[in-house]
Amino acid sequence: MFRHFLTLQQVSRRQISSTVRRQLDNNVPDKQKLFQEANGIPVHLKGGVGDAVLYRATMGLTVLGAAYVIYELVKAALPQKKD
Amino acid sequence: MAHQAHAYHMVDPSPWPLTGAIAALLMTSGLAIWFHFHSTTLMTLGLILLLLTMYQWWRDIIREGTFQGHHTPPVQKGLRYGMILFITSEVFFFLGFFWAFYHSSLAPTPELGGCWPPTGITPLDPFEVPLLNTAVLLASGVTVTWAHHSIMEGERKQAIQSLALTILLGLYFTALQAMEYYEAPFTIADGVYGSTFFVATGFHGLHVIIGSTFLAVCLLRQIQYHFTSEHHFGFEAAAWYWHFVDVVWLFLYVSIYWWGS
Repeated sequence: MFRHFLTLQQVSRRQISSTVRRQLDNNVPDKQKLFQEANGIPVHLKGGVGDAVLYRATMGLTVLGAAYVIYELVKAALPQKKD
Repeated sequence: MAHQAHAYHMVDPSPWPLTGAIAALLMTSGLAIWFHFHSTTLMTLGLILLLLTMYQWWRDIIREGTFQGHHTPPVQKGLRYGMILFITSEVFFFLGFFWAFYHSSLAPTPELGGCWPPTGITPLDPFEVPLLNTAVLLASGVTVTWAHHSIMEGERKQAIQSLALTILLGLYFTALQAMEYYEAPFTIADGVYGSTFFVATGFHGLHVIIGSTFLAVCLLRQIQYHFTSEHHFGFEAAAWYWHFVDVVWLFLYVSIYWWGS
């Protein structure tokens, strides 16, 4: 009975994959291999160079933004000299 | 190599809570700076940071669940609790606006003419576009359920079609509502009627956009084979959120559009 179920699974998978466009292959196993590599890299950088670029851009904006907001709030809080 | 002896998820250190908090600070301070000094730079910077944070944080969750296998049954249970609690908090958010509406409409003041709708307000006909909007959202509730069953039964093509249809219906609702906003004979400045109408329906519309975006992400993931017939919690969370948006609309329709006219 289990063998029969397996055959049914294989048949339905074959039928479905024949109607899907060729370029949409299932690359989840490749992604799983990449992200399970024992290299000690945290998940937010583990995808490759693109991750590092995006991280640096985000952190750069964060630091600049934090400095800018303090500047603007201090400027807003101090009384302006009127001539 | 040492492996954990439990089923729970010990997350890697992440920078996104910090960037998200700074984004919130920039958006709120930026709002104040915009109001007082007419500059939108700070607020815009905050919005960009928010978008970057959301993209990377949720990208990491997908990696942790789908690619690293961290979403074991106990972890998934926690995620379910989390989503339910979040939706509950949103229910309370909308409850406040319904309270405001009923407070003003059940006992209309003399300044309004002692009646509801107030004197001078021509409300929208509830049996025109608002009724169509109701049908659109109810239909989208059917299509998202169809999508769920398709995923559970391993019907890939049907899942993609029904999910895409759900998103299209959501976009159709948004377009119809935008048109209604443009054509409405009253504005947000038209007393408490305008305030309650546009704040309640406006926040609802924002949630429709958020829900549609969440479903669109699920569609991309379904196309990329992320979901299995047994494990597809991201989709379930999106579907729960979508049903919540639908229910809020039903309350809005009955209270504000129908009873309130």
